[in-house]
Amino acid sequence: MGLKKTDVLLKIRDLKIQGYSDETWVDIIKGVDLTLHRGEVMGLIGESGAGKSTIGAAAMGYARDGTRIVEGSSIEFDGIELTTSSEAEKRALRGSRIAYVAQSAAASFNPAHKLIDQHTEAPVQYRIKKRLEAQEDAIELYERLRLPNPGEIGFRYPHQVSGGQLQRAMTAMAMSCRPDLIIFDEPTTALDVTTQIEVLAAIRDIVDQFNTAAIYITHDLAVVAQMADTIKVLLKGEEVEEAPTDQMLENPQEDYTKSLWAVRSFTSPQKHRPTDGTPPLISVKNVDASYSNGPKILDDVSFDIYEGMTVAVVGESGSGKSTTARVITGLLPPSKGEVLFKGEPFPASYKDRSKDQLRQCQMIYQMADTALNPKVQISEIIGRPAQFYSGLKGTALKTRVDELLDLIELEPSKYYNRYPPELSGGQKQRIGIARALAAEPTFIVCDEVTSALDQLVAEGILRLLDRLQNELNLAYMFITHDLATVRSIADEVVVMQNGQVVEQGPKDDMFTPPHHPYTDLLLSSVPEMDPNWLTTLLEERGVDNIGDAASAKIDPDDDKVEGTQV
Amino acid sequence: MVFVILYFALLLLLSCGAAYYNQRSAFLLLFSLTLVSLILAIIGGIPALRFVAIAAGLLLGAGMMSYAFREFLTALASDEMAKELRTAPLTAAFGMFVIFVVAIMGIFAPAIAPHGEAEIISQAFAPPDNNMLLGADQLGRDMFSRIIYGARNTVALALCGTVLAFILGAMAGLLAATKGGFFDGTMGRIADVIMSIPSLIFALLMLSIFGGSLAAPSTSFWLLFGFAVVVGALFLMAAAYSALSWVVGAAIVAGVAFAFALAGTSLFDASEIILILVVAIIYSPRVFRLTRAVAGNVVVMDYIEAAKLRGEKNWYLIRREILPNSTAPLVAEFGLEFCFVFLLIAGLSFLGLGIQPPTADWGSVVRENATLISFGEITPLIPAASIALLTVAVNFVVDWMLHRSSGLKE
Amino acid sequence: MGDILTLVGKRLGLGLIILLVISLIIFFMVELLPGDIAQAVLGQSATPENLAALRREMGLDQPAIVRYLEWLGQAVTLDFGSSIVTDARVTEIIGERFMNTLFLAAYAAVIAVPVSIILGVIVALLRNSIFDRVANVVSLSFISSPEFFLGYILILYFAVKWGMFPAIASLSEGMSFLDLLERTFLPALTLVLVVMAHMMRMTRAAIINLLASPYIEMARLKGAPPWRVIVKHALPNAWAPIINVVALNLAYLITGVVLVEVVFVYPGIGQALVDAVSKRDFPVVQACCLIFAATFILLNLAADVGAILTNPRLRHPK
Repeated sequence: MGLKKTDVLLKIRDLKIQGYSDETWVDIIKGVDLTLHRGEVMGLIGESGAGKSTIGAAAMGYARDGTRIVEGSSIEFDGIELTTSSEAEKRALRGSRIAYVAQSAAASFNPAHKLIDQHTEAPVQYRIKKRLEAQEDAIELYERLRLPNPGEIGFRYPHQVSGGQLQRAMTAMAMSCRPDLIIFDEPTTALDVTTQIEVLAAIRDIVDQFNTAAIYITHDLAVVAQMADTIKVLLKGEEVEEAPTDQMLENPQEDYTKSLWAVRSFTSPQKHRPTDGTPPLISVKNVDASYSNGPKILDDVSFDIYEGMTVAVVGESGSGKSTTARVITGLLPPSKGEVLFKGEPFPASYKDRSKDQLRQCQMIYQMADTALNPKVQISEIIGRPAQFYSGLKGTALKTRVDELLDLIELEPSKYYNRYPPELSGGQKQRIGIARALAAEPTFIVCDEVTSALDQLVAEGILRLLDRLQNELNLAYMFITHDLATVRSIADEVVVMQNGQVVEQGPKDDMFTPPHHPYTDLLLSSVPEMDPNWLTTLLEERGVDNIGDAASAKIDPDDDKVEGTQV
Repeated sequence: MVFVILYFALLLLLSCGAAYYNQRSAFLLLFSLTLVSLILAIIGGIPALRFVAIAAGLLLGAGMMSYAFREFLTALASDEMAKELRTAPLTAAFGMFVIFVVAIMGIFAPAIAPHGEAEIISQAFAPPDNNMLLGADQLGRDMFSRIIYGARNTVALALCGTVLAFILGAMAGLLAATKGGFFDGTMGRIADVIMSIPSLIFALLMLSIFGGSLAAPSTSFWLLFGFAVVVGALFLMAAAYSALSWVVGAAIVAGVAFAFALAGTSLFDASEIILILVVAIIYSPRVFRLTRAVAGNVVVMDYIEAAKLRGEKNWYLIRREILPNSTAPLVAEFGLEFCFVFLLIAGLSFLGLGIQPPTADWGSVVRENATLISFGEITPLIPAASIALLTVAVNFVVDWMLHRSSGLKE
Repeated sequence: MGDILTLVGKRLGLGLIILLVISLIIFFMVELLPGDIAQAVLGQSATPENLAALRREMGLDQPAIVRYLEWLGQAVTLDFGSSIVTDARVTEIIGERFMNTLFLAAYAAVIAVPVSIILGVIVALLRNSIFDRVANVVSLSFISSPEFFLGYILILYFAVKWGMFPAIASLSEGMSFLDLLERTFLPALTLVLVVMAHMMRMTRAAIINLLASPYIEMARLKGAPPWRVIVKHALPNAWAPIINVVALNLAYLITGVVLVEVVFVYPGIGQALVDAVSKRDFPVVQACCLIFAATFILLNLAADVGAILTNPRLRHPK
């Protein structure tokens, strides 16, 4: 890619944006500068609340409802000052010279019109092309973006097209007037890894082909490394630093950036199954399951979890990993098969389980926000299981809660009387862990516990979970889609696809080839911090052997597919 | 003439002042008022302008009163309440003020009213004099006293009806959300059916059978008892989990229902009890739907799943997990429901089918004295206006609460 | 297309079932009467022989379910039996009145629907401005006013003080259409005021809800001018909510009409119902209730079917 030194396209100076909340205007963006040259792709990265998306909209002179651009800010697009130009002047730029690609394509396409009619709207309105020309051009763009059936797909309605394809159609729509600048606002965040890679490849190609400048907004470092020429890091509405991609990746200057860059350093030593013939703690045996007579969500799923070990269950959305957890906890009784606990069958529904059976198996949730009752004090959230299962009362209960708070490294006196909304995301997740521990379980289901957290916080949680496992001899079922998490904490790995277990085994085996083709696809689709990762991958696999196309090609008669059962 | 000159001078001065100090919206409002006044002056002459001036004066007075009342409340309330109250718009403060006044009127009615509720003290439709502030009604009773007593009767009935509708609807809604499945479906269908009959029409149907002057005390007692048993059964379904607790619970429910019915019949007369029950039955499906929806949003939360997996019983789930997270919308809905019930009762009384004479009530006072209107008198409109005012007031407060509970979303 | 037909068919079937259940409620509620109809008709003075004779005459000696089926069978052919107070056929009592009521409701709807939808859209576009707030307060006041309050105020000013329109909306044979419109103007206006406030608020809410969708923002960011955003992007998706608002408010008209008819002494079905209730003329009450409920259900049905037919996801299945 390399940096193209050409003339400046977009110049933002001292951008301040305020948002309206609690009856006052609060600063969201606190004076950001940005310079973008023609043909340059700039990545804006930062955690949630950093203001990336707001800056993206401001680059089009657009302030969302409830926000305003403060006077004194300057947004100069190709010599036109957007903050002072009229609404009509700004509108004339949008769609024709600056285009926008939104995060959720499914919500951003109008459900009432065909894709191609929405595509041709801008070029026809700006009299750049006649309607039919614009349609032909659309079909050509669809082809360049490697959409299946380019001649026909545009004549469908948005709800008839899949998410990854919609996202590419939206990129095509942004290209319809050959703009000078496109704002990509988290275009792949809502997609699965294997789908994401196709969209990334398509976006990068088309931006390259037309030499369009772009602002690429994302929170994913590895993604931005593939896409951007320069990277700007934001934190709470302020710029942390900006540098060309290579330099930024190799040699970040600021502490905050370094902390983001730090590759997950934590690895738990891999444990192995006991050899003395003790039965597994949890054993899932040939389970089929479906929701109220719907299609089968789980198809003949079997795996074992031994005492004190961590089994990571990996798969994309819809693979059935969370449904498996629901079967184990008894929320969804299986239609076939059973769950054994220490060799004894567990009643299928949680309603039929005894108090002691219920306490054995606890759960930690992905979204700590919805997992903790916002109207209940921390002391009661943690204390209730202790009171419920062990009948603790008064001082004994208080001592136990203090003990648990100590265990999760939170100061008891500080947190005892607080409510969940007053805590940070990481603290909430710790409270969730303490609640699970309060029941004194032997087995905990961790459902994507780190995926909603920023990287550093997530690592703290993983370390805590590992320490607790060693101290209390807990078994974990670790549901995740993040392979880095699997590498750091798992002892064994189960890979799921479409409700089936495609491969399972000890971690070291699973991360060394040969893989099952799906595992291979999954492993190869996870973006890496290397800026050349995507290029190399495309060279290795070929553009037609990634994403959905590749999943479709998986041959059921493959050796590795046959021999999946361990 | 002087009035007209002063009127326009003041308006122009104010709008220029607003324009000068960059108060855009105030300027727009004032200047458009000036323009409208010009047209009004041409069409309606001085009386029209006087009307505008009086209306503006009233608005200003109401605004100042509300402002002062809000400051008064903030000064009295605890820190946290005061912080909430400070966010209340003037309309909400006005609403609270009106509710406060009506409450005082109702509670201290016998002390405020100069004459008795049914006391005949002069000729029919006697004009106002020193003794009677608003003159006499169609039977020669003091109109002012009847309006004061009317506040007490109408509001008390509406409040009781709303409370009953709420207990039944909210309990069924919470239970349906927690239990789901068959119970949820059945309750939903029942609510569908009741809601497909227009409320006033359904009320008329039920009143034609049970209500009016023919209502028998024994009928109303058993109906009240039956209602209490239904509510009790819902509580039982939520709280009981073993055979023994069912038996004990059933006994308690029967006892409480009996006492409740006894208390009800001694407080209200038969036709009033029928009226309360009718509105309770008509509006409980609305409460059910809303509660079901609100609780439905809470039930899908992971903390409910966690509690279920812990083995908690329905009663704990409802009490500790669901209810604390649904109070804000439920309180707002209580206000809205009160408005509907209040309007329905007023409407029924106006039709002569609600509260029976000689008990005073805002709806029937309007009906009894409607003939005065054809002589250009506005006295019969005062109770009608009071109904509107109280309903507006409650709506203003509800609007504010909804706005708060929705987290300032549109 | 098949999906839509089954959905519409299901909805129609559901409406029919609800109507059937309501006819059950209306019929058997009267059975709950302490004593029975015969006793209610004759009052306290009834002798056992009188009662028995009347019961035979009214067919009360047959089981309730038989009488229900008979009543339902006749009701389907618009025959509701005869009044127990005047002995006249119920159909005769309410037939013409029902047409009058429909006329009044239609009169109000013709004015209220277009005006309030346009106002609602305007207010939605001007949201959070001073006009929006004023409109909010004013419409809330109208919603909160009982129909008889608005009606009497209109009478006081338009009829008594200014003498512009008649206070009593009596109808006579051979009135010209213009006369008719003038006579019924005040009751229609009362209904318009109440329904308009409701409809405007609901339209506003529906449009604002829609304008918050990401695809509207996308249209703006594609440089579409405001009118185009509304006409091309918002409106095709707004039909369902708007149809819903209209149907709900027409249904509301049906309830409001009862009070307004009483205020203006308008010879409609609402007044007949109120009279029948106070005289405990059950056949008339049952007939009126069934007619009102059927209209109500029909309107809700129309709204649901409209929403199904305008939903692009259903019109263009995968």
